Amino acid sequence: MHDVINHLINTVFGLGWPGWAISLIAYLLIATILFMIVPFQMLFLTYFERRAIARMQDRVGPNRVGPEGIFQPVADGVKMFTKEDIVPDAADKWVHLIGPGIVVAPTMFMFAVLPWGPGMVPFDMNIGLLFFFAISSVSAVGLMASGWASNNKFALLGAMRAVAQMVSYEIPAVLSLLAIVLVTGSLSIVDLITFQSGLFISSSDVPGIPDFGLGWFVFTPVGFLAFIAFFIAALAEGERTPFDIPEADSEIVAGYMTEYSGMKFGLFYLAQYVLNFLLCAITAIIFFGGWQGPGVGWLYAQAITPANPAGNGLFNVLAGVLGVFYFLAKTYFFFFVMVWVRGAYARLRIDQLMDFGWKLLIPLTLVNVVSAAIWVGLTKWGAADGLAFVEGWAPLMRWAVAFVITLVMNLVAYFFLVRVYSQSQDERARLDDEVLERLTNVA
Amino acid sequence: MDIQRGNIIVMDRRRGTLRAGQGLLQGLKVVWDHWVGSFRKNDNFSQIHGTFTIEYPDERMKLPQAYRNMPVLLYDDETGQELCTACYQCARACPPEVIHITQAKDPNTGKMVPASLEFIIEYDACMSCGLCAEACPFDAIKMDHFYELSTDNRMGLMQRKADLNRPVSYYTSIAPDLWDEVKEGAMKKLQGSIKRRPDVIGIAGHLSEKIAARRRQLAAEAAASPPAPVAAAPAAPAGKLSPEEKAAKLAAMRAAKAGGAEPAAEAPAPAAELSPADAKAAKLAAIKAANAAKKAAESPAAEVPAAPLDEKAAKLAAIRAANAAKAAAEAPAAPLDEKAAKLAAIRAANAAKKKSE
Amino acid sequence: MLKTEELQINIGPQHPSTHGVFRMIVTVDGETITDLKPVFGYLHRNHEQIAEVNTYLQNMPYTDRLDYFNSMANNHAYALAVEKLVGIEVPERAEYLRVLMVELTRILNHAGALGFLINDMGAWQTQLAFGMREREKILDLFESASGARLMCNYFRFGGVARDLPPDFMPRLKDLLIAMPAFVDEMERLLRENEILLQRSENIGVLPKEVAISYSVTGPMLRASGVPYDIRRAEPYSIYDRFDFDVPVGAVGDVYDRILVRIEEMRQSKRIIEQVIAQLPDAQGGHINPKARQNVRPPAGDVYARVETPKGELGFYLVSDGSLKPYRYKVRAPSFINLTPLGDMCRGYKVADVVVILGSIDIVMGEVDR
Repeated sequence: MHDVINHLINTVFGLGWPGWAISLIAYLLIATILFMIVPFQMLFLTYFERRAIARMQDRVGPNRVGPEGIFQPVADGVKMFTKEDIVPDAADKWVHLIGPGIVVAPTMFMFAVLPWGPGMVPFDMNIGLLFFFAISSVSAVGLMASGWASNNKFALLGAMRAVAQMVSYEIPAVLSLLAIVLVTGSLSIVDLITFQSGLFISSSDVPGIPDFGLGWFVFTPVGFLAFIAFFIAALAEGERTPFDIPEADSEIVAGYMTEYSGMKFGLFYLAQYVLNFLLCAITAIIFFGGWQGPGVGWLYAQAITPANPAGNGLFNVLAGVLGVFYFLAKTYFFFFVMVWVRGAYARLRIDQLMDFGWKLLIPLTLVNVVSAAIWVGLTKWGAADGLAFVEGWAPLMRWAVAFVITLVMNLVAYFFLVRVYSQSQDERARLDDEVLERLTNVA
Repeated sequence: MDIQRGNIIVMDRRRGTLRAGQGLLQGLKVVWDHWVGSFRKNDNFSQIHGTFTIEYPDERMKLPQAYRNMPVLLYDDETGQELCTACYQCARACPPEVIHITQAKDPNTGKMVPASLEFIIEYDACMSCGLCAEACPFDAIKMDHFYELSTDNRMGLMQRKADLNRPVSYYTSIAPDLWDEVKEGAMKKLQGSIKRRPDVIGIAGHLSEKIAARRRQLAAEAAASPPAPVAAAPAAPAGKLSPEEKAAKLAAMRAAKAGGAEPAAEAPAPAAELSPADAKAAKLAAIKAANAAKKAAESPAAEVPAAPLDEKAAKLAAIRAANAAKAAAEAPAAPLDEKAAKLAAIRAANAAKKKSE
Repeated sequence: MLKTEELQINIGPQHPSTHGVFRMIVTVDGETITDLKPVFGYLHRNHEQIAEVNTYLQNMPYTDRLDYFNSMANNHAYALAVEKLVGIEVPERAEYLRVLMVELTRILNHAGALGFLINDMGAWQTQLAFGMREREKILDLFESASGARLMCNYFRFGGVARDLPPDFMPRLKDLLIAMPAFVDEMERLLRENEILLQRSENIGVLPKEVAISYSVTGPMLRASGVPYDIRRAEPYSIYDRFDFDVPVGAVGDVYDRILVRIEEMRQSKRIIEQVIAQLPDAQGGHINPKARQNVRPPAGDVYARVETPKGELGFYLVSDGSLKPYRYKVRAPSFINLTPLGDMCRGYKVADVVVILGSIDIVMGEVDR
């Protein structure tokens, strides 16, 4: 955006404005666009989810308001806005009021580092990934605040669960990303995407691979395991089934949202769906190349970029459209997977969720980090780093050896850990003997 | 433990296999199959895939003939005679006791006749069990298929006879087979009870109520003015004729109003378009008037000269009665009704006692 | 030393997963349950007292409202009781129709119960929707035979209200084609799902002896490993003519209850197939005993019981020789199966309470009466 505006103002009109003015205009414009897009994303996702899950249940879903029910979320929004805002007498009024705001704000911040297309990133931070996850944990404060301020036992339980869950699933999420960061050597989200050009093999790993924009991380064993672990953690982070424990409606009514109504309740929903969108987007970006796809790289090479100031503006637009299309298609696909999972599974119990996170997911991602290190060593290092024996191998050979070794490592780790984990679960279940004895004594 | 003709099977819990996510994938597969299959309609009982939604206000389920919602009363299309004879079987069968019946009385003799004067069902408390329809020996009470009864007016759910009356043709349109089973018996019984019904009592809904009200006023009038110029015996046919004529006239007037400038002969046709009730009433009245005229023509010669005189007197009385009714509302009619109801109740009680003994 | 406090939570009477108006006073230590006190009676409708002012036939539609999921099975129990009291013979075809309806009821109840149970575990209604689809098909059949979907009121003393309509049998046969596919699919969804296993295995264990001492019946008891099925233990109606197996569980936890219900659907389908094969052709008058609108049993008392999908439903009637029962008592399976809830839940987590409650498969209409 910055480049295009710079080109428009300084080259086409020849006004010669300073860089800060152009940056200011660009950021204002981007922020406006984002704040308009975000609520629409949420509206669309609620509609999308309801229709998709209805299909999975052999139903039709909302199809009354507007053609095929497309205005259903608008009707819901109107309902939310016109509902009475009820604050319980015993609630801490101010915290009760601020809670939803604290939950929503971080999700908006997270858009700052989200690249939508080639050259279409609001702010390319060199620690973008870190920023993304650091900011996302702030909403736990809001959840706790609203749960506590409601002065309701269900809300408090829900908030406790939410915070416990968020804190423990940050770790596997970040660990699985750590593996990717090891491979790319950068925390910048834009770098992560540019790394993923190629065709099944990243052109950064093996130079000379034709660029079809398909060198995604998910095609490597390290990336695949990281993807699975990250997606599971994302489900927990976004409070989706099977980890929607904080708002488990069959147990604790609506969790921390129990005492909220009207638009405050709507804000929680907004935050949740926007967070889900962001998690899907970040999954698509990190493991599935974001806007990478056949054609985008070639189009962007012809466009106006800092590297190529003499390009054609039309190609900016074309690359942008195609890139955003790929990106959104992938994102919505992952949201569909979330819906699909929601349609198929029951919910875990809170202690089982913790077990799963700490006993299976974290060891698994730790092993994956080691795999990533081996991968980096085999594909990138040379004699200077102490790996002289790989020096003579062809890049493809190095890639293949790394692939096989990490695949075997990850598979072994997976089955070993699953076995250990299920044994530990059986062990837990066997504690019931005590209960059994007590019960038999009753008889 | 052994059991005959079967085994006791202990459920296999399939322990020992490593559970590494196969079950989860299986679940995803099942849901995926449904998602893919949901783009066509599940219209057959043998299918488990496909949407099975019926989009209610646009589409409606085909209701089976036996479907029962709320009870209604049937009347014969042609004569307008109700099948109900006020035998109280339904009221006695009703578990929540929401059926209330008043039996009609012959205004001349004061005797009970096999017809209901008022028939009330409290729809709000009715449990749609269908026992009334099963209990009815005359097949007069049947279960309706109409189910959109929601209302904001709770008292509106107390359905009176006028709201409950449905023609037999309506019932045959919703449950032809069920009606065919009982048709003959019901019609035969109806003929029997028509014979015992004097004049307009037991004629359906809107029509009968209008006529009955007029009839009551006439009777009151007659009782109030004893020095009538006619004998008691020939008064009966006259009394029978006049309200019908009145109804016919009314119907004709209405039809004329509805039809505007059209000639009277064509009046029933537009009337039928506008309000079937009026047209039916007019038709019925016309048929009755014709019948009465025929009867009068066939009656013994001694009564023939008396007839026109009687008619004139009756007309006069009718006009007077109408005026009186306008002035004094229905004051004289009310006590009569009450008495009839009381009598009916006593009779029913006696009958019940006899039966229980 | 850190001091923790026990928290008292009221689950219900208005709660999404108490299956009606039911309240559990749960004392929790963290998330672990130390005590559970069930409170019911919010749906009390004076059923038994009303029955004593009604005639025998008038009670038939009221029995529909006991366990509104299985009105046919309730009808059956009550009809059996009155027939035993008066001494009425039931014609062959009517007996077969009764068994047919009751077994269809069993399928629909288990399909719904499994769906609700998985819903309580937190699934987003998919399993319930699948169960409801089959249930709706069966309810369509009920509607065409009896006139109503839920409150069927189909049984009469000495028969059933009316014979089957002509389109009933083809639709039933279609349904039987879909049934194995549906049950298999349900099993694929439930049997090996790791999440479901974690939520149900060794949860809410009810050992054999405890189940018997609480006089629990139905799938609950069978899941605890007691092969007690009234259709086998004391064959009523014509159940001695059919081949079917009695599934029992090994442990008596929620998982066993799921498995037993799945298997019972299969066995019910087997019975229905036998009914179709054996159904006599006698038509008309034998089915609809209009002459028996009002029965006047001799003075005496009777207890009749049937195996409803939820357990043993019994009616105890005392007649003083009049048109109305002198005493009318219902032995409701939901109510008695609910009594060991506290013992089953102690030591488990809050999230397990709703699952255990769901696995009992209660209907509050029957618990509170």
